[in-house]
Amino acid sequence: MLHVNSISKTYHSKPALRDISLYVNAGESIGIIGESGSGKSTLGKIILGLEKPDQGDVHFRGSNLHTLKAQALKAFRRHLQIVFQDPVGSLNPKLPVWKSVVEPLENFPDVIPSFLKEVRLDRKKIAEVLFQKVGLSPELLERYPHQLSGGQKQRIAVARGISLEPELLVCDEPTSSLDVSVQAQVLNLLKKLQRDLNLSFLFISHDIAAVQFICERIVVLKDGILVDAFLTRELFSTARHPYTKMLVEMSMEQDQ
Amino acid sequence: MFENKPTTSNENNLLVVENLSVTVRNSREKLIRNLNFSIPQGEIFGLVGESGSGKSLTATVILGMLSKSLEVTSGSVIFGQSEITSLSEKELRNIRGRDIAYLSQNYQSFFTPFIKVGKQFIEIIRCHTDMSRKEAKKVAIHWLNKVHLPAERVFNSFPDELSGGQLQRASIASAIMFQPKLIIADEPTTALDVLTGERILDLLSELKEELNCSILLISHDLKHIINRTQTVGVMYGGQIVEIGKTSAIVANPIHPYTNLLLQSRLRLNKHIQHELTAMLGEPGLIAEEGCPFSKRCPSVMESCSNIVPMSSLGTDHSAACHLVNAEREERYVTR
Repeated sequence: MLHVNSISKTYHSKPALRDISLYVNAGESIGIIGESGSGKSTLGKIILGLEKPDQGDVHFRGSNLHTLKAQALKAFRRHLQIVFQDPVGSLNPKLPVWKSVVEPLENFPDVIPSFLKEVRLDRKKIAEVLFQKVGLSPELLERYPHQLSGGQKQRIAVARGISLEPELLVCDEPTSSLDVSVQAQVLNLLKKLQRDLNLSFLFISHDIAAVQFICERIVVLKDGILVDAFLTRELFSTARHPYTKMLVEMSMEQDQ
Repeated sequence: MFENKPTTSNENNLLVVENLSVTVRNSREKLIRNLNFSIPQGEIFGLVGESGSGKSLTATVILGMLSKSLEVTSGSVIFGQSEITSLSEKELRNIRGRDIAYLSQNYQSFFTPFIKVGKQFIEIIRCHTDMSRKEAKKVAIHWLNKVHLPAERVFNSFPDELSGGQLQRASIASAIMFQPKLIIADEPTTALDVLTGERILDLLSELKEELNCSILLISHDLKHIINRTQTVGVMYGGQIVEIGKTSAIVANPIHPYTNLLLQSRLRLNKHIQHELTAMLGEPGLIAEEGCPFSKRCPSVMESCSNIVPMSSLGTDHSAACHLVNAEREERYVTR
């Protein structure tokens, strides 16, 4: 469904990504692991069409994302949604949260997601259904972002992300600003939604344990280079790249 | 009234916090309730908990930097021979930064942006000693080397010319220059990468051995607590709900909060977890009376709305929960 072909990107004459290729099949969840400066977020932006690569191309459902004209690109955006690390930045502080949740649907009036068939004409009802999908109480519909906890805000961001029933959801460090118990709730939610809606995930994180929990395949970036790619169940294999092995070792608890 | 108390029952204790409570002056809201713990010489003691559990506030009290809007309503903090909560600002200034060092999560704002790192080091050194600039520079270079930084280059750099890991190392260097007895490390790795964070903790352990100091490691990351601390206090809603030897608590958590926290953590594991154990509610949900966790607790009983005293399970493990008794009986029967 998504093909990234030998992408390179340079910022201020510093290479951020070098010759990266990867693919995502329909319904598959791919993890991108890397430390800060590894280029993982840049890769996410290029896949979303927010940045242009210097070389290489991104094919989504057979079309080259970066040569599409504005109108066609907009139609594609429907299928590509994102959940950011910082839910505060992605919600309008002056809108009650239910309005933020239905906003993407207002931009695409013709789209009727399968789980919204019965309520497509009633914005408030749509918001209720989406709230229920992400495990939020309808009492919170009228709240403003500052009246919600970090975990609730991240659920709202997820609700927004799935509202158009996209084919690919990019999650950029979606749980790293959350408390342990809330992180567990949100990760369980993401995993369940991925299964239920048959979404493809591109899960970007520095936390191998989170990626292991969510993803079927893993790609490791280091200094803009793809150093390792493998099935999650082969994470502990001796064939892993030394860098992957080091990350694994550092992420283990002792006495395991 | 605390002078007569045998606070130094264990002669090795560097820091003893006894029955400490902190309240908001205006609303009488209790932020910390009856905290008891002690840190032995040369040990790493961990405080673990989620947002709003009061762990950073505890550090603030130990540093004598409590905001004016808050007040200590009971208890004491004894550091060496001094009772911190009754010291004057001038006396505190001699201890703070010298005997007790503080490392924060926010290393980015540790240094002033438009002054070179070296100049800031000299300023700090000359604030605590009467060294000349030349001598102070020598000291600064010595300690920058100690934290494995390219000392001369860092000394002559502006803060924004250094990476996150380097800045955190430089802030550690400045914290340990006066060879403190206690280092309070408040989420020292949160803003860092996994590898950089582990190296920072390695460095702290190494320095602890060398300076023979103690470390109070405050973290929400259970992996760090499990890997690095000897003793741990688990905080929820301003109270320590379970305390003891880290290995004992991890092997056999008694308080449902500790138990659920341990179960809901992400673990890199050969067997992939299919679903994480979920804890109901959010960390902000704190019961006003009795056990602070009772509103989220799966094992809640009527008696949980009264104050639940800490009871011990062996010499190095106690919890404030009725389940301690059940556990004791079970151990008795199986024996």
